[in-house]
Amino acid sequence: MQTDSPYTRRPTSFGPLRGSAADAVRSLVASARLAWAIEGNWAEPFYLAVYLVIRPLAFLGLFLAVLSIGGSLNPASIGFVVVGQAVFQIVGAALQGPTHALLDDRERYRTIRYIFATPSSLLPVSVGRALVKAAIAGISAAIVIGVGAILGMPLRSGGIDLILLTVVMLLGLLSIVGIGIALGAVCVQLRNDAWGYPQAVAGSVFLLCGAIFPLDTLPAPLQALGAALPITWWIEGVRRAILGTTSPGLLGTLATGELLLALLVGTLVILAVTPRLFKLGIDRARDKGYLDRNTAS
Amino acid sequence: MSSIHARIPADLAATIRKETNWSLSHRLRHGAQSVLARAYPRVFGMIREPSWLFFDLVFPILGMCSFVFLLRSRGVDDAWVSATILASALLTFWTSVIWMMAGQFRWERDSGNLTLYITAPVGLGPITLGMAVGGALGMAFRAVVIITAGSLAFGATYEIREPALLALTLLLGVSAMYALGACLAAFFLISGREADHLGDLLNEPMQLLGGVFAPIRSLGLVGMVAIGVLPLAPAADALRQIAIPQLAVSGLLPVNIELLILIVMVVVFSIGSRYALRYIERVGRAGGKLLTRAD
Repeated sequence: MQTDSPYTRRPTSFGPLRGSAADAVRSLVASARLAWAIEGNWAEPFYLAVYLVIRPLAFLGLFLAVLSIGGSLNPASIGFVVVGQAVFQIVGAALQGPTHALLDDRERYRTIRYIFATPSSLLPVSVGRALVKAAIAGISAAIVIGVGAILGMPLRSGGIDLILLTVVMLLGLLSIVGIGIALGAVCVQLRNDAWGYPQAVAGSVFLLCGAIFPLDTLPAPLQALGAALPITWWIEGVRRAILGTTSPGLLGTLATGELLLALLVGTLVILAVTPRLFKLGIDRARDKGYLDRNTAS
Repeated sequence: MSSIHARIPADLAATIRKETNWSLSHRLRHGAQSVLARAYPRVFGMIREPSWLFFDLVFPILGMCSFVFLLRSRGVDDAWVSATILASALLTFWTSVIWMMAGQFRWERDSGNLTLYITAPVGLGPITLGMAVGGALGMAFRAVVIITAGSLAFGATYEIREPALLALTLLLGVSAMYALGACLAAFFLISGREADHLGDLLNEPMQLLGGVFAPIRSLGLVGMVAIGVLPLAPAADALRQIAIPQLAVSGLLPVNIELLILIVMVVVFSIGSRYALRYIERVGRAGGKLLTRAD
């Protein structure tokens, strides 16, 4: 006679992608709460707020100081740099978030093995951690844009295009978290400097995506590479939504519909590939024993 | 303390006294050996772990390229491109000061090595000096690579009329930065998770206040304050004036005044770090928290 005891039930798959959608949502919410505790409770709220304000503004000040070298600042340049730099705060955080979460759990808190022992799936756990980092960076981005507006950054006539902004932010965030997840699955295989790779990727993307200067300034091969990045389209979309102007050069020739289509297709490709890559990477890391590794780096 | 001594037999106590009552020359020799021993892995480590060298070079080079392209997009005088490359080289030292000096003892504590330092027959002073010497030598190599790469990629040129003055400025600037790093090491050691964020705050905000990529003169009164407390500021301003004479007019103070400021900083931060490290070690030992992991 068949019983329904836990011992005779067919075991669920054991890996980074398992459980139902409801389980995944629960894991995502729990990991997001944990990420907020890690990222947000290291200081009193006042000091946290000061930290969130100072760093992005210093970054912005740095770029504006460099911009002012050539003479007086013109409002269009301020707008270009402010929006690019603000959006890139989110890009950097979301790119590094999943890798840092996996490595933190593996080496600093040494909890990754316990996550595997629970019914939680590692993918929503990593996504939740990345989203909170991105959300905190989003606060910094909003502060930067607010300060930019105070400094005379010209906003779109008729106000910010909220529909376009929402669509590009959603697609951009999905694509960047997807890339961050894939990067995490690769970095967990590495012995040395796994922490450094996301930062190196973020630095390279910053250079290529036209965040603070037009793509046309880059040498031709790098321009093509930069124009192929979804992050470039995301930043351009946000510029159009907030400033109401197109970037000079190559990107400016694209209609907004074409830009959205490119961003949508890019995001769908990333979302199709990323979970498989993540499963492949984490399964390999588990098989090789890399999830118990401590590189002391 | 006295109760511990009371339990040590007299002959053993005499032996301990004899073996630890070193002459000045013995102490100096021991200190120098400790400095060299700690500096050694910082210089030769990069041969054994080339990936460290890669990351130490790739971040400043990527940052440098971003600033250079930003300047190029504005059609700015090429002298500023040269200044940006020079600033990126100087920043490798500053990054090392933040993470490999200020944050080092905290990292050593969390990875378990601080226990070895505390139990070794050497104070934290020589170990800190060894970290600074090794760090500065290792970073000097990286700085040369960055300047060479930047010059080749962007055609930057320098007109050094007084190489000795340039070398002196670099020496004083780097010494002042590492002395400040030693002061901060004590502060980071008593910090918990906030230390990582503190390190972040010492990065971009200090690049702005230090006038690294843009003239500190443009910061006005804030720049004047920064040049008096932040070694990066007088070092960057003086180096720019010496290596790129076309930009001398952008300097905030004459070079000799900035050298004087750097000398004062070296002395003040060195003395400060000595007292800070001793204080933290004493308080940490007494409270039993010196070796406690922050997280």
